[in-house]
Amino acid sequence: MKREDWLPILLGLVIGLAIGLYYSWVINPVEYVETSPASLREDFKSDYLALIASAYAYSGDLGRAEARIAIFQEPNPATTFSQLAQKRLAMSRPQSETRALALMAAALGERPTPLASVPAQTRIVSPSPTKHTPTPTRTPLPPPTRTPTPTPGAPFELLDQEKVCDPDLYAPLIQVVVIDAAGRPVPGVEVLVVWDTGQDHFFTGLKPELGLGYGDFAMTEGTIYTVQVMKSETPITGLMAEDCVGDEDELFPGSWLLTFQQPEFP
Amino acid sequence: MNSTTFRLITGLIIGLVVGLIYGWILRPVEYVDTAPDSLREDYRTDYVLMVAEAYAGDGDLDLAQIRLAALGPQPPVEIVVEAIDYALKQEFGRPDLEALNRLAIQLRSIPPSPEIGGP
Repeated sequence: MKREDWLPILLGLVIGLAIGLYYSWVINPVEYVETSPASLREDFKSDYLALIASAYAYSGDLGRAEARIAIFQEPNPATTFSQLAQKRLAMSRPQSETRALALMAAALGERPTPLASVPAQTRIVSPSPTKHTPTPTRTPLPPPTRTPTPTPGAPFELLDQEKVCDPDLYAPLIQVVVIDAAGRPVPGVEVLVVWDTGQDHFFTGLKPELGLGYGDFAMTEGTIYTVQVMKSETPITGLMAEDCVGDEDELFPGSWLLTFQQPEFP
Repeated sequence: MNSTTFRLITGLIIGLVVGLIYGWILRPVEYVDTAPDSLREDYRTDYVLMVAEAYAGDGDLDLAQIRLAALGPQPPVEIVVEAIDYALKQEFGRPDLEALNRLAIQLRSIPPSPEIGGP
């Protein structure tokens, strides 16, 4: 073929592509419908996960929460919830939400392996026989498995206060461990830290790998701190990073380990 | 049909086919970065159910409304009613239906905001 014989083909090609793009971008553009939560934008996904935690905090239904989380195929959901709780705590989100996230992280941290699939005993709902991914669950569901939570109204009392000299810690820490009357760790307990120029708070259970009742706060050297556990009547005062002596006689700032326990009701 | 028209149509068809192969096979649409308002109906209903459960726990109706607003511009109560309809069709359990109903009742109890420009 001669060169001019190609021109109509090329012209047709360009017109065809233009029509195709005009149709797909202007006349009938893509509409995102029937999507799965897994495709949500990162901020919406965080909101969705927070909502899963809040629903779990009310129902205590871990099986259902796990089925909902499985949609996202998170390799380590306990860590995801723990990080989200810390992030939202910093964002001053509602306390109920942060606490719910801490409880969720703690409940998932109790499981020995990461969650990857929907539990077998959980029924799946789908609006029609489709080839879609697993969908939310509904009843009947396994009996709720609640994470231990503080008994309402019972204040925590300081059981032990110990100076910790661990050069491997990333910073001098105020480490708090909260246990219930039976000695079981209690996640989701708010701990208030106050110093002369400010205050902060954290929750137990955000580092489930260190224990469900564990939480910590990094101290600044030279600052004196007061710590109060939620509903505790007595604040622990005068905490500061005191010097520790290392193996080679070098000095490094030490930490504090505070253990709180909920007394038994008479 | 002369040969020029024939070539033009041939090019047009090839262009369309290439466009479709590119759009459907080589680079099909991937659903990423979507918003909750595009959720499939079952997920949408489950989202509303979670809002209802969270509300039952924290009693924060403002927060529940903010969460429902992510599902679209409809009034929150309508979103919950739609979820109840779906839940009834799918025979959700009684506790779930009760949670949804409680949220719907609370949302209905909110007085409508005053209209601008009224007498």
